[in-house]
Amino acid sequence: MKHGRLISLSCVAFAAVATAFAQSTPPQARAKTAAAVKDVKNWAPARTPDGQPDLQGIWDSASLTPLERPKELGTKGVYTPEEFAAYEAFRAKDMNRDRRDGGNAADNARAYNEGWYDRGAHLGRNMRTSRIIDPPDGRFPPFTPEAQKRFDAVKARLAAHPADGPEDRPLFERCLTYSQNGPPLIPGNYNNLYQIVQTPTAVTIFSEMAHQTRTVPLDDHAKLPSNVTQWMGDSHGHWEGNTLVVETTNFRFNDMSHFGTQYDYGMSDENLKVVERFTRTAADLLIYQATVTDPTVYTKPWTIETPMNKAEGAIFEYACHEGNYGMAGILSGERAREKKAAEQSGGNR
Amino acid sequence: MKNKFAILFAGVALLAAAPVWAHHSFAAEFDAEKPVKLRGTVTKMEWINPHAWIHIDVKDASGKATAWMVECGSPNTLLRRGFTRTSVAVGQEIVVDGYQAKDGTNRANGRDVTLPGGQKLFLGTSNPDAEGGSK
Repeated sequence: MKHGRLISLSCVAFAAVATAFAQSTPPQARAKTAAAVKDVKNWAPARTPDGQPDLQGIWDSASLTPLERPKELGTKGVYTPEEFAAYEAFRAKDMNRDRRDGGNAADNARAYNEGWYDRGAHLGRNMRTSRIIDPPDGRFPPFTPEAQKRFDAVKARLAAHPADGPEDRPLFERCLTYSQNGPPLIPGNYNNLYQIVQTPTAVTIFSEMAHQTRTVPLDDHAKLPSNVTQWMGDSHGHWEGNTLVVETTNFRFNDMSHFGTQYDYGMSDENLKVVERFTRTAADLLIYQATVTDPTVYTKPWTIETPMNKAEGAIFEYACHEGNYGMAGILSGERAREKKAAEQSGGNR
Repeated sequence: MKNKFAILFAGVALLAAAPVWAHHSFAAEFDAEKPVKLRGTVTKMEWINPHAWIHIDVKDASGKATAWMVECGSPNTLLRRGFTRTSVAVGQEIVVDGYQAKDGTNRANGRDVTLPGGQKLFLGTSNPDAEGGSK
């Protein structure tokens, strides 16, 4: 029911956007938008030979939509067409890495010019103000008191010892897992493509980032015992109408596992459960939703929504371990900083 | 209306000013206090993951060459934009505007990589409908 409302809302919003953009967009782009509106109204998913709704293909999750909603927007979950256009232009400019303003620290953090980034040039087609659609303020719910204590302790330890060894660094710096791998699937600055492949008994979700594959059994494939954990958990799927529902538990975790919440200081524990919903609502549109529940970490569940656009291939291999010079550079950089600090300290005595 | 949006997005700009992440923290590897501008010739291009690296020889006034390696982004993005293994040729002269590694070795991030004439070597796009723009 909730999803039905979403689609209706999207229809209205897209129609309005198509009108608003008519004066400013090239004919080709207008034709695409109009086709999307028509598709959402009348479209029914094709079926695989064994009768499943066909989700197969390559899907692009990149967009300029932020994960958390700016506080100023309060509970405003969806942009008007006017705001959508204005924010899209603002966001594209704000995130542009060709900028050299803001001083050396900001310049260094931006790392490379815009050519290296592939985070999308548009806001998500769902017109949302944030990827988080619940809680209603579009922001992560507070940690439980115990989780907050753990978070603060980890943060303090890492502030004092940011790079004693690789284990102190985020999992993505170690090429272990990325927010794009999920679950939940959360796009980043590049490598945001997924390929979905279906068989009668399983759905495979291949993530371009770090070349990770998750196979989701649809049958009565045995679940892992509770003492066996994996970075991407243990997923099992079933169909609810045209929606593929995937439930995942048995997550491996440590102080650095993030699951899309805080990139450097993640929080999850053995109670983490993620329920994902994949619904193809048009030939070129897959609506992805995921609800994260972890009662010993979050005071309430949170849900994200990401519209994924049909994309052309190919997906290239991202063999992260191939030449991860960065990790050695980070560790040697920290040793150099420690040495310099010790010398300065000695010189002041 | 324009003013209304300006106020609406004022706080957003502050959020976006926080460091971005990609494969790793750039602030952890490179020193914001050590900006470098290098002009050199390409000796090797490593199209590897998670980051491509360009190796260059930088000559000083006496003609003595020093080897530097320059970190770039993910090869996938560039491949999707039509760059190939021949796009950066050995012997090509480039200018690197970046930051030196914290450990003081001759490594830098390629904040901006340009040809001697000023043309960006890895030209991105801020035009949503241009080739390479994500839909």
